[in-house]
Amino acid sequence: MTTEPVEEQFTNQIGDHDDIWSIVDNALLGIGVNRETGFMDVIVSIETDEIVQASRALRDDEDANFDYLRSLTAVDNMGDGMEVVYHLYSTTKKHNVTVKVFLSNESLRLPTVTDVWPAANWLEREVAEMFGIKFSGHPDPRNLLMPEEIDDTFPLRKDHPLAEIEVLQGEGMGYSGEEL
Amino acid sequence: MVEVLSQTSDQSAEFETQDLLLNVGPQHPSTHGVFRMVMTVDGEVVRDVIPYIGYLHRGAEKLCETMDFRQGIGFMDRTEYLAAFNAELSYVMAVEALADLEVPERAQWIRMILCELNRLSSHFMFLGAFGVDTGVFGTPFIYAWREREALIDLFEEVSGDRMMYAYFRPGGIAWDVPVNFVDRVREVLISATQGIDDFDSLLSENEIFLARTQGIGSISAERAIALGMSGPSLRASGVDMDIRRDEPYLKYDQVEWDVITGEHGDVFDRYYCRVMEMRESIKIINQCLEHLAPGPILPEKMPRMLRTPPGEVYLRTEAPRGEYGVYMVSRGGNRPYRCKVRSSCLSNLQALHELTVGEYMADAIVILGSIDIVLSEVDR
Amino acid sequence: MSVDLFGMSLNPWADAAIRLQLVVAFMTVVVMGLIYAERKILARFHQRVGPQKTGPRGLLQSVADAVKLVGKEDLRPAAADPWTFELAPYFVFIPIFLGFVIVPWVQGWNVRLLELGILYFVAISSISIVGWVMAGWGSDNRYAIIGALRAAAQGISYELPLVLALLSASMLAGSLQLDKIVEFQSVVPLIVWQPLGFFIFFVAALAELNRTPFDIPVGESEIVGGPFVEYSGIRWSMFFLAEYAGMLIMAFVGSSVFLGGYSWPFGEDFGLPFQMLLAAGKGGLFIFLIFWVRASVPRLRIDQLMGYSWKILLPFSFLQILINGFVLVYGLPHIILLITGVLSLGLLFWVTEGIVKRPLQPRRRRARAIAVQEAEVS
Repeated sequence: MTTEPVEEQFTNQIGDHDDIWSIVDNALLGIGVNRETGFMDVIVSIETDEIVQASRALRDDEDANFDYLRSLTAVDNMGDGMEVVYHLYSTTKKHNVTVKVFLSNESLRLPTVTDVWPAANWLEREVAEMFGIKFSGHPDPRNLLMPEEIDDTFPLRKDHPLAEIEVLQGEGMGYSGEEL
Repeated sequence: MVEVLSQTSDQSAEFETQDLLLNVGPQHPSTHGVFRMVMTVDGEVVRDVIPYIGYLHRGAEKLCETMDFRQGIGFMDRTEYLAAFNAELSYVMAVEALADLEVPERAQWIRMILCELNRLSSHFMFLGAFGVDTGVFGTPFIYAWREREALIDLFEEVSGDRMMYAYFRPGGIAWDVPVNFVDRVREVLISATQGIDDFDSLLSENEIFLARTQGIGSISAERAIALGMSGPSLRASGVDMDIRRDEPYLKYDQVEWDVITGEHGDVFDRYYCRVMEMRESIKIINQCLEHLAPGPILPEKMPRMLRTPPGEVYLRTEAPRGEYGVYMVSRGGNRPYRCKVRSSCLSNLQALHELTVGEYMADAIVILGSIDIVLSEVDR
Repeated sequence: MSVDLFGMSLNPWADAAIRLQLVVAFMTVVVMGLIYAERKILARFHQRVGPQKTGPRGLLQSVADAVKLVGKEDLRPAAADPWTFELAPYFVFIPIFLGFVIVPWVQGWNVRLLELGILYFVAISSISIVGWVMAGWGSDNRYAIIGALRAAAQGISYELPLVLALLSASMLAGSLQLDKIVEFQSVVPLIVWQPLGFFIFFVAALAELNRTPFDIPVGESEIVGGPFVEYSGIRWSMFFLAEYAGMLIMAFVGSSVFLGGYSWPFGEDFGLPFQMLLAAGKGGLFIFLIFWVRASVPRLRIDQLMGYSWKILLPFSFLQILINGFVLVYGLPHIILLITGVLSLGLLFWVTEGIVKRPLQPRRRRARAIAVQEAEVS
């Protein structure tokens, strides 16, 4: 009959933020970071050219031991550039961290982390084809989901439109938008 | 007359051979959907396999950005149609996390029961398809689907739909379960237990089955973690990782079950881990049924148009095929700004190359079946 | 020279032609019935019903299939080699028909009882392997050629145990002529003295017929039809019929050699109808066993299949011949055959099992997560 406050539903997923932050800070050892707290994970921001070094540090450090790349994705912030988001997990220590790299719209390039986590291979391919971000050093930069010939359309960018039918939602509208 | 790839293999010095380029799919009875593999085969041994995906890409993530939080649930169903409750769960829990919604107890227990039942039906589908992949003409398929039909009928009674339920809502569930839900679930569990035992006795000790599956397509624990595999495919390699236990959501911290890990990480272990996981799911459901009590299924103050404050969350749950995560970014408003689906099957499929190279061609199909992919989740 | 047929005296050529025609007609009808029987029996194994709409209880299903296949467009790949592609069905089909020459249906009914009965049968049936390879090569399709080469390898590998098993049985009977073998079993069927031989014959027959668990050339879930993937309509139906005709002939040869054919028990005493019943019953039992195996076991991979033939079946069939020879030369009582046969069969199963078994249980870890919260709350 009782309802629980929503934080308690996720307590076990959140973990202790200060703990994780100190571990991560130690691991990153002077690589420029920026801390925030998202709803569930600690979020650290890292510069573009330091991402590979930071990834290696996070993976190899004994207390951090982030050996599992959960997810690699990107968010298009329209005028403010794009951010590439890495979600990391440690199978031994069972803690999570989110790493972000902010890119400006003029230079959508960053090095690949495939050498650190082979899981990034296909995930980076998908981000590259959907957002137009180039991962330098990627072993296999082909399109994953998109047709192979297309290399100038990036569907998940905010300025890429959906087809007209999707915009015209409402009663009394025909298939191609004319009034019924 | 028969085109061969003009690439000499340098395996044996005294006998010059050529490798054959073989295209499997996209239309093929064994690829579990529209999936294409280009195999380079030397005799019967696979030298290289290149998967081509994207045939089922429907732009679910982009579409979710234009739909509000309730409309997006339908898309999540369709990304993983065999385990749709688990897919919906990640999405609605992400919305609840952002919108700070409290989910009533009864809804949580019902969600848990339905998700575990969905795990059962998804694993039954796997058993059926896997049996056919190893070559039995249809008997394991029919055995498995007999049980799955019972489960799907139950889902239809609850949600009105056999496969794409759209039953979970942010905050709870859409409507309450039928009055005879508990009895129906118990009925279904009895037949499912018997079905699992039947299936086990048909295949798991069959010498030919063992010869086809043991020692084939194995992957080490370190490599599996590095490749980002999850779910039973990862646990079969000996890695003890289960989101239900390590980062409990819903009420998984109040029930007791075993996490099954394998030892060799080969095809047989992946198969058998799933069989044993089904029995554990039945245990979980039985415990949930005891905790189920009358109560509300949605919060009292449920806004008509759900808006969330700005924020982001990466919410992961243990779907039958692995870790199904939803990374949701909200900029205020009633739609997600970015909704990324972390697909378990995509990460598991990455391992296909490593698992298959060096094995026989006939094993490639069995290995693909053992990873248990559903293409709609790979492609979204 | 003239021969008797239904009391008429005929030129031997005409007589052979008429007999062959009767056999062909009989066989075609029976094969269509077998196709229906397989679908129904497999359906019962799957807890389904099988064909039920076409005709009463679905009995006209085979007829409907035949009509459909006849009406289909005859497709041929543009780059297919015309000679091999077109002739392949005949090369598969005709040897099996020719095999029916020596089968003793009931006493006195056969086409020609050759003295080299078994040898003729084995020699003729191995020609159909050539047909499979022709089909695969002529189709200009990679799946086809893979299937064809697998079929060739499999067919050749399993010829040897098949021949040796049949020969060991005919050693005991003292003749290669099939009706003499049948009459030898009027008191005790040869399966009693040759359990190992029967098992080897059954397994080798399954492999020669390309039936599960040896259907990797036609592996439906991998290479989708193997050598026959490019055939359609009538040509494909010839392959299909050839498969079932092959089953029929293996069943009858097997039941003649090992199960006593029309002769055991008391076949010769009770006359023709009873003999027909016996022959049909035993052939039917054999075929039912083939269907049962199909519904129950996965298929073997090509290397496992060849390994099984060369490393297990072949040595054991030599063993059977050795034992037979021993018993015959030294005039030992036949009961020795039964004892050694059962022991060797047990040894065969033990050897096979020893190769594949491995303990089944993965590890379990109890998952009682964070019960501490409740303990603290209460």
